[in-house]
Amino acid sequence: LNAAPGRAPRQRVRFLQAPAPGGGGAVELVAARVPVLADHPLVRGPQFRKLKIGAGHRLDVKASGVFVLGIGHGNKLLTHLYNCHLTKVYTVGGLFGKATDDFSDTGNLVEKTTFDHITREKLERILAVIQGTNQKALLMYSNIDMKTQEAYELAVKGLIRPMGKSPPIITAVRCLQFALPEFQLEIHCLHETQQYLRKMVHEIGLELKSSAVCTQVRRIRDGVFTVDDALPRTQWNLQSIQEAIRNCQLKVETELERTLG
Amino acid sequence: SQDGGGLRAVMAGVARRLLRRGLAVAARPPSTRQLQEAEEAAPVFQYAGKAARRKDRVFVWGFSYSGALGVPSFVRPDAGWKKPRRIQPTPYRLETEEKISSAACGYGFTLLASNTRDITKVWGMGLNKDSQLGFQRSRRDQTKGYEYVLEPSPIPLPLEKPQQTRVLQVSCGRAHSLVLTDSEGVFTMGNNAYGQCGRKVVEDEIYSGSHLIHQLKEFDSRVVQVVCGQDHSLFRTKKGTVYACGWGADGQTGLGHYNITSVPTKLHGDIAGVNIIQVSSYGDCCLAVSDEGDVFGWGNSEYLQLASVTETTQVNVPRHLPFKIGKVKEAACGGTGNVVLTEEGNVFVWGYGILGKGPNLIETAVPEMIPPSLFGWSDFSPDTRVAHVRCGLSQFAALTNRGELFVWGKNLRGCLGTGRMEDQYFPWRVTVPGEVVDVACGVDHTVSMVRSFT
Repeated sequence: LNAAPGRAPRQRVRFLQAPAPGGGGAVELVAARVPVLADHPLVRGPQFRKLKIGAGHRLDVKASGVFVLGIGHGNKLLTHLYNCHLTKVYTVGGLFGKATDDFSDTGNLVEKTTFDHITREKLERILAVIQGTNQKALLMYSNIDMKTQEAYELAVKGLIRPMGKSPPIITAVRCLQFALPEFQLEIHCLHETQQYLRKMVHEIGLELKSSAVCTQVRRIRDGVFTVDDALPRTQWNLQSIQEAIRNCQLKVETELERTLG
Repeated sequence: SQDGGGLRAVMAGVARRLLRRGLAVAARPPSTRQLQEAEEAAPVFQYAGKAARRKDRVFVWGFSYSGALGVPSFVRPDAGWKKPRRIQPTPYRLETEEKISSAACGYGFTLLASNTRDITKVWGMGLNKDSQLGFQRSRRDQTKGYEYVLEPSPIPLPLEKPQQTRVLQVSCGRAHSLVLTDSEGVFTMGNNAYGQCGRKVVEDEIYSGSHLIHQLKEFDSRVVQVVCGQDHSLFRTKKGTVYACGWGADGQTGLGHYNITSVPTKLHGDIAGVNIIQVSSYGDCCLAVSDEGDVFGWGNSEYLQLASVTETTQVNVPRHLPFKIGKVKEAACGGTGNVVLTEEGNVFVWGYGILGKGPNLIETAVPEMIPPSLFGWSDFSPDTRVAHVRCGLSQFAALTNRGELFVWGKNLRGCLGTGRMEDQYFPWRVTVPGEVVDVACGVDHTVSMVRSFT
């Protein structure tokens, strides 16, 4: 970054002494535009001594996926994006038959159960109930008076969303893959933590009269940023980062405009 | 405890001293191989076998002091720490001996019926001042009957073949009830001041503690559905004809006059010759649906229920309601509002009161559709649609094909089951631990039949 050509030095109009066109000895003032010495690279030093990088929504050690960072002025945009309360999408992989103490497959074993009675239909029924109860929570925590016409209209459009602090809410779940004992879910949620999603997998196992552990939590979307916008490990270099920032700028601006006005 | 902690500290000290001396070996954390072996050796528990059946349950909520919920400890607490519960705001499980196939809520009482061949087929609870639950012999005085029945109590039906006949359906009105059997016709009990039980009105008859249960058999074909309005009864036969008896001052009997009818009489008007597949009534207005998807209405129209065809407030002959909403599959009548369900799965409401489209829609004579997104339809689940609609006196209920129950309307004494005491102006999910199969709405209480998830 510092090797790139920096800002051009500021120009200033100074009245310099120059020999007069007439006879020797006499000096007159001539106006000239000169660069300001304070902006000289040797005086100024490297332009970037440190960079302020802020992190977006948390992603814990055992999970993977899209992780949003803000650089410099982008940190202010991060705060605005947080206040938009947009949903995040995860793919969560689960395994039936085991229950562990930290709900993931690397924890201490608590219990082993049978799972041959579980069918995709039963799983989808449980997922429908989870969606239903979370839908209720969505309406309750959005702090809108249910008796107004405005609440009715927002509910019809599906735009009711808690715009403040709330416990984790799941807006949509669906089963992507089901091959006993493994299964994969796609979860859209708000204000969640990855451990909450693992606990949910465990509770789905309990509800189906068996047990389940979570094998994988991967965030595939965080607000407006999807996996396609995210940079993999091999592309963590200046060019890719600058290009990614440029590509996402418009998206972020439109989303902020739409939600916060 | 103090001693336990002290003992552990002593043991730790001994272990440390032994370690330093080289006489004991510290326990290493278990290796991956050891963990794997321990996991494989762990016992496997079985909570549900491969052929585990889903269980059928009954959930009740609403006003409990009439005994209509069937939980005696809400009215007369049987333990010192229990307090009387006037209103049950959320679904509460009711233990029943048999699987309940049909339920009906009346004005302060409930009937539950099972499809079994056992001798006890129908249970009743709640108000019994007009013997709408049959004669419930009091244990204190063998000659008198109970006026309030707090627990589901068997109703003795005078069946000819009690071990062969099955009860198909029950229905309850303000103070009378109807029980439909498969081979022995319809049994009626309760108040008969307006002939709603289908027998001749006896002057100054005392209904309280009465043993009389009347049997109705004379219809042109087998009766397949019985419906109770507030003080009248409707019978639908297999051939698609409708019979009515009871109070007719609002024209709810549909027989062309405004008098009392004490014998079930066939209806004509616009439904003559039409194959009716469903009839509904709860207050003083009645709706019928034909096999072609047309809706017919008669009865009270003070709340614009039939204002699309006539300006009069009472209609005593069935009239065809020319709605252009598609083929109608099911209709339900409430006290002041009506709801229909079309073949596409859309729900239309009209009438007066809280209709379900926000606080601004108070009355309409023309059906208005409730957007399907309020019933759980979304891009994620485009197959969700409403499967059944039901009506109480001032509340509506809709069941989706995913087994979810949505309610809206006036929350009279907690009858909506949302957990809040406020009225609900648009459809709201009721959290029931199971898939809701059927629901019966009353004036201030509701009963639902639910299957467990697994």
